[in-house]
Amino acid sequence: MKALAFALSLLASPVAAQMQGVMLDEPVEIPAFTLMEQNGKIYSEADLSGHWTLIMFGFTSCPDVCPFTLGNLEAAVAETSLRVRPDNVPQVVFVSVDPERDWETVSDYAHFFHPEFLGVSGERTDIDQLIEATDSFYRLMPPDSSGYYEVQHSSSVSIIAPDGTLRGKLQPPFDPGSTAEFLARLQIQYRRDMIQ
Amino acid sequence: MKTILAATFLAGAPLYAWAADSLITVTSPWVALAPPSVKSHAAYLDIRNDGLAARHLVGVKAEGYGMAHLHHSMEKDGVAMMHSMDQMSLDPGQEVSFAPGGLHIMLMMPMGPKAEGDMVDLTLIFADGEELPVVAVVRRPHEGS
Repeated sequence: MKALAFALSLLASPVAAQMQGVMLDEPVEIPAFTLMEQNGKIYSEADLSGHWTLIMFGFTSCPDVCPFTLGNLEAAVAETSLRVRPDNVPQVVFVSVDPERDWETVSDYAHFFHPEFLGVSGERTDIDQLIEATDSFYRLMPPDSSGYYEVQHSSSVSIIAPDGTLRGKLQPPFDPGSTAEFLARLQIQYRRDMIQ
Repeated sequence: MKTILAATFLAGAPLYAWAADSLITVTSPWVALAPPSVKSHAAYLDIRNDGLAARHLVGVKAEGYGMAHLHHSMEKDGVAMMHSMDQMSLDPGQEVSFAPGGLHIMLMMPMGPKAEGDMVDLTLIFADGEELPVVAVVRRPHEGS
């Protein structure tokens, strides 16, 4: 059994290294949307332009996965900054799909993980539009006896290029080194595509 | 002879209970430092059963919180989800890690924000009635986890 587990781990490790992300064959346009920071400042498709963006969907009452992911993204962005030009370091945007509970704290929540992370939310229709455009998913679960409800959501993070199009996805476990490596490779591919 | 056996049994009974208590070992209990506004966050630990019988963790209490639950995060078809666990069994010799992205103790309704270095008193509750106190330190996830 131990031998089998070892053999499986050998098999799994190269696969895991490749699984940090997927590059899309064709870029996907992001339609117009309007979300907001907790102070009311608009965050829209215009804010995607001119730099790389990583969009993560989640909710702030998420005890484990969301803080774990944001912590890893912070480390991955720090790693990326060692590999790419400063203007290619991605902006991380946390989009709460649970505005009812998160409206007043979503930006503070994101800033906790890094002062430059943005936290936004908005009307359900705007959230749904961005969810659909990035081929993402969420579902509000029924509340338990205490009134707490879980929100299931896509575990992957959407990568938006400086031209405002979706170019790929980052996937868990968001190991900082391999995620940074993946982002750097994606950026090289993007520049090649732009030249052609 | 019977009397001696009974006496041994009687004397042995509390001793056994004490021994059973000590056969569960908890190491590295910690609470992930969370944004001050959050309504729930998580505690993690490693737990080992060195006893000869299976033990069943059935609940947890956390001082300073409205509620605490045993939870399991998982990913299915690219979707992150959680499950509340009524019970977590530990076979003899088994060690289980509660770690980010998997098993965790969900701490709900905090009565106040927690700062780095704060201690959180947890009580692990087992099916046999044992209550095991554990003190978890609040720290940042990336420091030696």
